[in-house]
Amino acid sequence: MHDRYRQNRDKLSIALIVLIIIGVLATLLLWPGLVVAEEQSVDGATVWVKLPEPNAKVAPKSQSDEPVHPPTDLACRQCHGDTEREIEFPSGESLPVVVDLESLANSAHGEQSESPLACNDCHAPVDYQFPHEPVTEDDLRQYQVARSATCERCHQQPHITSHPGPESENAVLCTDCHGAHDTLTTVQLQTGEGTGACVDCHQQREVGLTDSVVLSQLIRDGLFTDSPDSDYCLACHVREDLTITFENGDVVSATIDRDNFHDSVHGADNSWQQLECADCHGKLSYPHEPIEATSYRQYSLDSNQRCKRCHEPNFEKALDSVHGEALNEGNIEAAMCTDCHGAHDTPPPSEPRDRISHTCQQCHSTIFDTYAESVHGADLLEEGNPDVATCIDCHGVHDINNPTTELARARSPQLCADCHADEDLMAKYDVSTDVFETYLHDFHGTTVALYDPDDPDALVLTAVCYDCHGVHDIRPVDDADNSIKANLLVTCQQCHPDANDNFPDAWTSHFEPSPDNNTLVWLVDTFYAIVIPVTVGGLGFLVVTDIFRIIRIRFFKKDR
Amino acid sequence: MKTIVSEQQQFPRFRIGARIEHVILLVTFTILCLTGLPQKYVESDIGAWMVNLLGGIDTIRLIHRWAAFFLIAGSIYHLFTAFYRMYVKRERMRILPDLQDAKDARDTVLHNIGVKDDHPKMRKFNFGEKFEYWAVVWGTGVMIITGFMLLNPIATTSVLPGEVIPAALSAHGWEAVLAASAIIIWHLYSVLVKQFNPSMWTGKLPRKQMEEEHALELERIEAGGDPWRRVEPRQKKQRIRVYIIATIVFGIALLALTVWIFTFEETAITTMPPVTPEVFVPLATPVP
Repeated sequence: MHDRYRQNRDKLSIALIVLIIIGVLATLLLWPGLVVAEEQSVDGATVWVKLPEPNAKVAPKSQSDEPVHPPTDLACRQCHGDTEREIEFPSGESLPVVVDLESLANSAHGEQSESPLACNDCHAPVDYQFPHEPVTEDDLRQYQVARSATCERCHQQPHITSHPGPESENAVLCTDCHGAHDTLTTVQLQTGEGTGACVDCHQQREVGLTDSVVLSQLIRDGLFTDSPDSDYCLACHVREDLTITFENGDVVSATIDRDNFHDSVHGADNSWQQLECADCHGKLSYPHEPIEATSYRQYSLDSNQRCKRCHEPNFEKALDSVHGEALNEGNIEAAMCTDCHGAHDTPPPSEPRDRISHTCQQCHSTIFDTYAESVHGADLLEEGNPDVATCIDCHGVHDINNPTTELARARSPQLCADCHADEDLMAKYDVSTDVFETYLHDFHGTTVALYDPDDPDALVLTAVCYDCHGVHDIRPVDDADNSIKANLLVTCQQCHPDANDNFPDAWTSHFEPSPDNNTLVWLVDTFYAIVIPVTVGGLGFLVVTDIFRIIRIRFFKKDR
Repeated sequence: MKTIVSEQQQFPRFRIGARIEHVILLVTFTILCLTGLPQKYVESDIGAWMVNLLGGIDTIRLIHRWAAFFLIAGSIYHLFTAFYRMYVKRERMRILPDLQDAKDARDTVLHNIGVKDDHPKMRKFNFGEKFEYWAVVWGTGVMIITGFMLLNPIATTSVLPGEVIPAALSAHGWEAVLAASAIIIWHLYSVLVKQFNPSMWTGKLPRKQMEEEHALELERIEAGGDPWRRVEPRQKKQRIRVYIIATIVFGIALLALTVWIFTFEETAITTMPPVTPEVFVPLATPVP
């Protein structure tokens, strides 16, 4: 017994010594820069590379320094064709340095192409001696901006579109659309290859062009290509005496305000997508063809189809909206694209934020006046508060639904809760976030929560938020003119005509029961919070002892 | 052979009236739980699912109220059968709890955990059954009163402060939780899991179960005691005449009261007033 213990102990000691030796050797081998770090096998030859320590500061090389290796494609490809190394930026991002040689060969600048380029045609040789100098950019995007500058050495008039350039916050770089080593040709872009990148970006920003098939078609059709530029058209259309007379007698000015147009989201002075007149109006010749529409309104409605070319998803949404429906039913006054967004003077629709509600005001002026007096409207219009609800926060933007349906009524509490149950948002204004929960716990809220949208006959007869707080005329609850607290009985009597003076106290005023608020409810809750566990525990105890008795008798009394 | 026969020997336990009351209670209580508890736990998925399964919130509220009506009617029926036993038969109220029940409970636990060898000998109604009976009386009372308040908030607040209504809502919900859990833990265990107790269906209980749960009652009957009190026919006839008159008068009054509870208040409007604000009012001069 004792011998076996000693044997085991000896074996353990030997194992421990071996482990320590391996550990020391491994530490020596892997110590950064101390010995060797990478072995590369190229064409059977073994190349030992001594690498600099990571993050070590390398003094900038003076012009007179001799390159260590000649900067040829072969040398670049030997390392960059197959490596798992990455450039690490101070921001924490990383970029693999591997280059897919096959897609490089097939790219617009590959060996097979009309304009083949060598690596250092783009990667300027003086910067790319070996060992490479450490990357100076702080993050990946800055690095991409710096590399894209290379394209302009040959493509001196970059793109006709005015996607924002490197100096802008939302810079769109050459490589974002065209790729870097796998540069796409124009033909490839026109056949739909690579337009996914454009679509991804546009989808993120929820603006037009969110379908790569549509985009490819537009590129094929010549959008963004050379066309009579806007100044050509504006040469005439800035004249103030230009009018169009429609068949029904409408006389409309055809004058375009050059500054307004250039300031618009489609104009030359913005950081978005510049459009030329012809991009929307087609390649009109002079003298122009006669206009087919018989009235100005009809002409406007027809014009909206032009927006659809780039903004199809929003266009489709608008068709399904309450406006689209009205239009479909023959109400030609119903708002479509240009009624809200403008035609030639399209501003960013939500800048400044009160523009949103002023847009709706054009047609819904009385509702706007009520809203302007409300807690939301006053804050928006007087202080430009970015948190308060504008029209679209409740009604939606393009997919504006009919707000008078039962479904809209049933869903409205959730709509209010989107903001009013948001603790971070409400903390700024010292507004309780219990409002939604307490509402749900009340008879009214419970009923609304159970509304079945599949039942066409279902009515939401119980009060929702706006029945008490108002719809467009929502006032602060402590407002002197507020009808809620001062006139709670009157509010109740809207639905409970026989309500008496005590009745309004049946409403818990959104307070969770506590010793201070809704004391009676709190007492009831506390009573049951004691009685239920005691009863359940007591009965449970009896049951458990009875089960114990059965087990005891079955298994232990047999022997007796 | 003899022991088996005597173990299976049946002893009378419940008369038909009590069994009918039990069925009414069982059906209405189950329906009330199934339609009521989902309303309390409406925020849980199961709650919402149950509500939809049973036909939507308006339907289950209707079912809930009808079940409540029959529960109240059943309770009135129980009052009359109790009155019959007390007035016509002059029976003692053997369901009333006393100190002996506390001792029986203590001895049962001591026996269960093995401290005492023998099970306590219990009477016609043992401590557990008395607890359940009075729990039902208490629970039904709370539910009828709070339910009345919830159904008639305007009438209630004309007498009581408004805060009573949300308190009643809270009590109604928690009492339901208490009742349902007590039934599931205690009643279902006692009459189904532990050993099936057929007495509420057959009216009789086998000797073995009588021995375990009602040993004193068993001894009393075996000693020649009558399970029910006998009344001399002439006297009975007299009393029944009074009983029937009283039953008809009070029965109609109570039933009318019950119907009144459910119908007299129109709490809220039943159609929404139409909302027709002028929507399209364009500005005369557009704002830039």
